[in-house]
Amino acid sequence: MTSHIPIPATSSSGRAPSTSRSPFSSRSTFSSRSTLSSRSPLGFRSSVALENAISLTLPFPPHRSSSADHRSFEPRVIRAASDSSHSPCQPLNSRSSSILRPAASQSIPSVQHSTSLSFLRPSYLENSAFRQLLLLEQPLYTIPSRKLDSMHTHPSALPASSDSDDDSTATPPRDTVLPPKEYSFKLPTCWSDQDRHNLLNVSMSGRELSYQGTSCGDKDAAAARTIHPIPPACGIYYYEVEILGKEHKSHISIGFAGHGVKFSRLPGWEPNSWGYHGDDGCSFAAEKNGTSYGPTYGAGDIIGCGIDFTSHRAFFTKNGSFIGPVFENIGKDIDLYPSVGLQHAGEIIRVNFGHESFKFDIDSHVQQQRNAVWNKILTRPIDSSVLEGRSMSTTGKTTLSDEQSKGVLNKLVLTYLVHHGYAKTVRAFQKQQPDVLAAQDTDIVMDDTIPETGGMDKDIERRTRIVNSVISGDIDSAIAETKKHHPVVLQSEDHLMLFKLRCRKFVELILETTEMKKRIKTLKESRAEKRRYDEIGNGDGEFWMGEEMGMDVDDDAVGLMSTSPTTIPYNAPPLRNGREKAVSPDGKGKDLSSVDAAVQYEMALNTAIAYGQELSNDYKSDTRPEVRQLFKQTFGIVAWEDPLEAGGSVASVVSYEARVNLANELNQAILKSQGRPARPALEMLYRQTAACLLQLGTMGVGEAAFADISREILES
Amino acid sequence: MPPKPSIRAEEWDRRLQEVQITKNDLNRLIMDYLVIEGYKSAAEEFSQEANLAPPVDFESIESRMDIREALQRGDVEDAIIRVNDLNPEILDTNPALYFRLQQQKLIELIRLGRISEALEFAQEELAPRGEESPEFLSELERTMSLLAFEASAAAPAGISELLSPAQRMKTAGEVNAAILESLSQGNEVKLVGLLKLLCWGEMLLEERAEFRKLNVVEGSLVDSVLV
Repeated sequence: MTSHIPIPATSSSGRAPSTSRSPFSSRSTFSSRSTLSSRSPLGFRSSVALENAISLTLPFPPHRSSSADHRSFEPRVIRAASDSSHSPCQPLNSRSSSILRPAASQSIPSVQHSTSLSFLRPSYLENSAFRQLLLLEQPLYTIPSRKLDSMHTHPSALPASSDSDDDSTATPPRDTVLPPKEYSFKLPTCWSDQDRHNLLNVSMSGRELSYQGTSCGDKDAAAARTIHPIPPACGIYYYEVEILGKEHKSHISIGFAGHGVKFSRLPGWEPNSWGYHGDDGCSFAAEKNGTSYGPTYGAGDIIGCGIDFTSHRAFFTKNGSFIGPVFENIGKDIDLYPSVGLQHAGEIIRVNFGHESFKFDIDSHVQQQRNAVWNKILTRPIDSSVLEGRSMSTTGKTTLSDEQSKGVLNKLVLTYLVHHGYAKTVRAFQKQQPDVLAAQDTDIVMDDTIPETGGMDKDIERRTRIVNSVISGDIDSAIAETKKHHPVVLQSEDHLMLFKLRCRKFVELILETTEMKKRIKTLKESRAEKRRYDEIGNGDGEFWMGEEMGMDVDDDAVGLMSTSPTTIPYNAPPLRNGREKAVSPDGKGKDLSSVDAAVQYEMALNTAIAYGQELSNDYKSDTRPEVRQLFKQTFGIVAWEDPLEAGGSVASVVSYEARVNLANELNQAILKSQGRPARPALEMLYRQTAACLLQLGTMGVGEAAFADISREILES
Repeated sequence: MPPKPSIRAEEWDRRLQEVQITKNDLNRLIMDYLVIEGYKSAAEEFSQEANLAPPVDFESIESRMDIREALQRGDVEDAIIRVNDLNPEILDTNPALYFRLQQQKLIELIRLGRISEALEFAQEELAPRGEESPEFLSELERTMSLLAFEASAAAPAGISELLSPAQRMKTAGEVNAAILESLSQGNEVKLVGLLKLLCWGEMLLEERAEFRKLNVVEGSLVDSVLV
């Protein structure tokens, strides 16, 4: 069914062979990335609305450090759909059984084996790009959905940089998400108490199998398998079996079996089953007479059994030593389960699905395979028809030359810089284009690519200015400049953008009043404090001196000025009256300033309300749901004494992040009005690649597990 | 064989939307490109504008670029001196790279028509190395055959390409990569890896499903005709 086309291993890129460098070799990264202590494998985000979500804390395994990878995993907060019927779209999957299939065997919860679930995902699986989709079991507990409110944006989180606008408006921080439920895979954790021969007994732990029969012939073979099949998204899957019986050459077969293979036969005898036998050391792939493969095994031995979904071969280990690859085309079209068969009385085995550390160094083995797959990808030429979005099957392969690749890269970089308004970088970048390149033929990729510099500079600067105005809260300037240079942006969609900006303006006005009120309160408190202090410290000469010299006014001023920076979470426009008070020479200034502040507050509040009423009036006939909704949310903030502290949906309107998001939206709208894409090509490239790889992973293409986009491209 | 499943355009768009990628991530990809490809002043500006800590000191970018420029204008001698100034071990420990530079020098001599000089250089410097490895020898022979053609245009493509700017770029690229490696810096541009990953991923997925392709050059999704 699934055909494989060979991947050329030769490089025509003309670069020096890169075999000497592993892609994981240490290299200094740009900066320490504290925010990335945990990251979802392909960058998933649950599509389900947050309101529908529940929050869970899953016991993800602490990352056992491997030699090439020192990042640590931390328990994370995740979100998953509370409504299991809510799956807007099933992933396309030719092997649906590997994805949460409600099979009969699964409908009976494995409660009796609950002790076997107390282990962590084995560390070798951290090599898979889909590691976070590989679950040992479904979480058995849930938390009511109202908990989620506290997980909304925290307004106090302040980016220090001025370049903090971020395109990921719809993307929550990485460490708060779980892949959508429809993508997760369950790992084998124990023997199934259902899917076994009745001569086999499964221990309480679910790890041991013992043969209960009396006879000793082929007819009395008895096999068992696990509850869940092996997800190919593992890339490589591995388990170990310890032989606890007494025979030196055990009549045991260790291997894999598909769904529906007879339990009265040893793995390897039947179609869709594969096994390594202890009595003769032969490998069996649906055959009665095996092929000579490895040593015999028996009592006390630990046999490891692995399947490599990148090569579709299996391998075995004995007491920690690698025996070698075996079997061809295994696990290509059907789901496979770890399976063991016994046929002599007294035989007992105990399995290790990651319950304890493995005898064989599976971590390095998997790492090697991962590097091999990644290096294979890196030696591939870049295909021009892919870059232009054409199907390779119709156009054939056309390899890009070095210069052409360079042209594509330069364009990706340039359009990205222009998109985000990095004007100085753009100028420097263009100036540094070597003449060789400029003189290159420009047919395939460079045609109309580089916009002329002069006009572009101004354009970028203007756009950056507008965006920064929004980020700093100066909505009026943003509106004015946009109106002047990009009137279409404000008008489009029936003035929707203008509406959004005006709503933000209202928010800024309200926040201003909140700050004023806070200051008045602080002022009153400090005065009350002082009054108390005055009364207590009546005899204190020094204090009298101070009072005589009118120091209190300064004190007030200091109080006013010093409280503000700590309580204002971001640069709200400074209040004019603050300074007037500070310079007031009058000894009774404190009373005046207090009154003054109250009057100012009153005025600001009136201004805000008037603005709101005008806004309300202008849009009263607009019945679009998103307009109504934003309107409601915007006016709702008035109900809070301090909207910035309110959290939840209020924060989503007033927070600094909300400003940044709005700024970004405006940037995209301006770009769109100029006929440019809303997202830069570079970002699209990343998104497309990640989506392809995820799709491959859910379709059971094992190699995709070792093409880890976020690890290879973003982290190393 | 059953027909390939199709992923509807809206569904695909949703998947793209769900991918997690931040501007900071992308900024670092850009910085990686600017540094490795040697856009020193652009890297400096970007470090400022994007508020991104530079991964290397900018001076090292400059010296790498001086070497590259020397090779691109054909001054191999200058390039070798500069590489050795930077770190003599680079050429000492990398005979293939040293041979590549010597070969380039020979090419430049031939290009300039300094035939006797070229012959002398080949005999004294390159021939002994050719004896060391069959690979070197075959490259040497290829280079020498340039002399057989009076006008380079008459030479077969496999030989005349030695005189192309691409050959200079190739040599410059190899030297650049070796220097980066000596600085324990990545020498593969991440963006190139990303493009290759896309090619690989789309190729595999194309065999299994219909989905919306991306025109990377335009940065837009192609409206494929779904059957």
